[in-house]
Amino acid sequence: MGISPLNSGKRGDMLQISRWMKKEVISISQNSTIRQAIQLFIDHHIGTLPVVDEDHHLVGILRLQDVIDMGMPDFIHLVTDFDFLHGFGAVENQRPDPQIFEKQIEELVREPVSVHEESGLFRTAALLHKHALRDLPVVDHEGRLVGIASHVDVGVALLSYWIS
Amino acid sequence: MTFSLPAAVSALIFVVCLALIFSERIHRTIIAMVGAVAMVTSGLIFGYYSQQQAVNAIDFNTLGLLFGMMLLVAMLEPTGFFEFIAVWVGKFSKGKAGSLLFLLALVTSVVSMFLDNVTTVVLIAPVTILICEILGFSPQPFLISEAILSNIGGISTLVGDPPNVLIASAANFSFTDFIIHSFPLIIVVWIVSYGLLRWLFRFELRDPSPNAEAIQSLDPKEAYTDQAGARKVILVIGGAIVLFFLEELLDIRPAYVALGAASAALFWLQPNISELLKRIQWEILLFFAGLFVMIGGIQQAGVLDAFVSLISRLVDLSPALAGLLLLWSVALLSSIVDNIPITITLIPIIQHITLPGMNNSFLWWALVFGAGLGGNGTIIGSTANVVVVGLSEKTRLPITSKVWSKRGLPVMLLSCVVVSILYWLALPTFF
Repeated sequence: MGISPLNSGKRGDMLQISRWMKKEVISISQNSTIRQAIQLFIDHHIGTLPVVDEDHHLVGILRLQDVIDMGMPDFIHLVTDFDFLHGFGAVENQRPDPQIFEKQIEELVREPVSVHEESGLFRTAALLHKHALRDLPVVDHEGRLVGIASHVDVGVALLSYWIS
Repeated sequence: MTFSLPAAVSALIFVVCLALIFSERIHRTIIAMVGAVAMVTSGLIFGYYSQQQAVNAIDFNTLGLLFGMMLLVAMLEPTGFFEFIAVWVGKFSKGKAGSLLFLLALVTSVVSMFLDNVTTVVLIAPVTILICEILGFSPQPFLISEAILSNIGGISTLVGDPPNVLIASAANFSFTDFIIHSFPLIIVVWIVSYGLLRWLFRFELRDPSPNAEAIQSLDPKEAYTDQAGARKVILVIGGAIVLFFLEELLDIRPAYVALGAASAALFWLQPNISELLKRIQWEILLFFAGLFVMIGGIQQAGVLDAFVSLISRLVDLSPALAGLLLLWSVALLSSIVDNIPITITLIPIIQHITLPGMNNSFLWWALVFGAGLGGNGTIIGSTANVVVVGLSEKTRLPITSKVWSKRGLPVMLLSCVVVSILYWLALPTFF
């Protein structure tokens, strides 16, 4: 992970992601069920669960949105424009088959995208943008999860720097 | 039957290409282009096919008509016209499954009489899934019926289906010829096929919607993204249809009408041309051109003569039998493989059948009905089927081969039986 000139010195520390990330990360083990993941989302009111192995290495990302998508009507993915649809009719009362909650999270887990703790804010913001993520896991040199930065954390940090 | 060396080489190239196309392991357009180049190369080496002959073999009337219609559809597509139709039909059905099936099938069929049925299905099927989901119905009966009945609707006009365009160009059939000879038969076939589909899906369509009022709150006009644009294109397409009817009177070709209409619409709408051209199915146009060049080669090499004499002998025996035999063989073949290469291969054969004292129109009509109806038999029989199956795979109830063989295959067989009877009855009018 390269360190940009901005990251050196005192001002550089201000622009490092480790300065702004949340250090208490709620993560999930890769062998969990979808029901366990749902419970974590509910209990902690969060939108992203980094998926880790036994040694706390980041192995994937589970997004709240991907879990919600299981219950979305099929047409959402097929029709480009449904703004004219004011009510979703029968879909509103639909719930996914409870059996799918007992499945392993594996099929919903995305490839791990992360940022190194010494990385700059801009690189973090760019990765969030590129991978359409709301939160980005932060890892150390060994790829172990050490924090998580939301797009609000990163955005607010950048804005504070801009007006400082 | 002895084959000269050029005939053997060109036949080999063609058969290998057909086998590759039907195996679907390499894209058919790539095979058609490579095959065309191989054919010209062997033609130059063995002296049976010149470069000029290869260019002349391309039927620009077919390509022009298809291209013109594709441009018109490409201009209509982003206006939300197809979404408007589907939502309007959904509202009109008042959420009753039976009425919804009838109206969606009818509208899809009528639209695909004039516009490419693949595009029609591509655009109406997703909205169908939307309507079914908010009404709480399974989309399967609706999607299968739309594909099958739009295929059937397409047979009734010159512009409805690519094989019709090819046959009309080769046989010199006008738009009116199709209205006289195909349209009435297809109405009967459509009604019978619809009836059978309705019966096959009687259990799925039995329960009323738990949310019939959801559809009532929709305003179809909101489904438009560009209502003014849609009106303009529809007006131009309407003008083109009028000109298709006047084709013989004004002595103009369908390609001229289609390209003229497309140019008029382009001038009127002035869309972003590079975005528009991305929506053209170039792979189909190239596939046609490649096949034309290949067929021209085997024709010059004299490969098709044997088939010409075989069919001629059959016709001598009994025209009705020859016609029906052709209709059924084409239908059965089309249910397992693409009907376009079958049609393009049979065209030069039928073209060279000269019958003393009668014309060979009845063979052309047999080809029209066989190629058109055969595709309904299997999931891969027609592009419209492939499209709805592909879309259904993104839903919770994918349409499988097993589902299709229970619903599509009986419809294909019954429609072929019905069209055979009508064909036999109408035989005297074909001469």
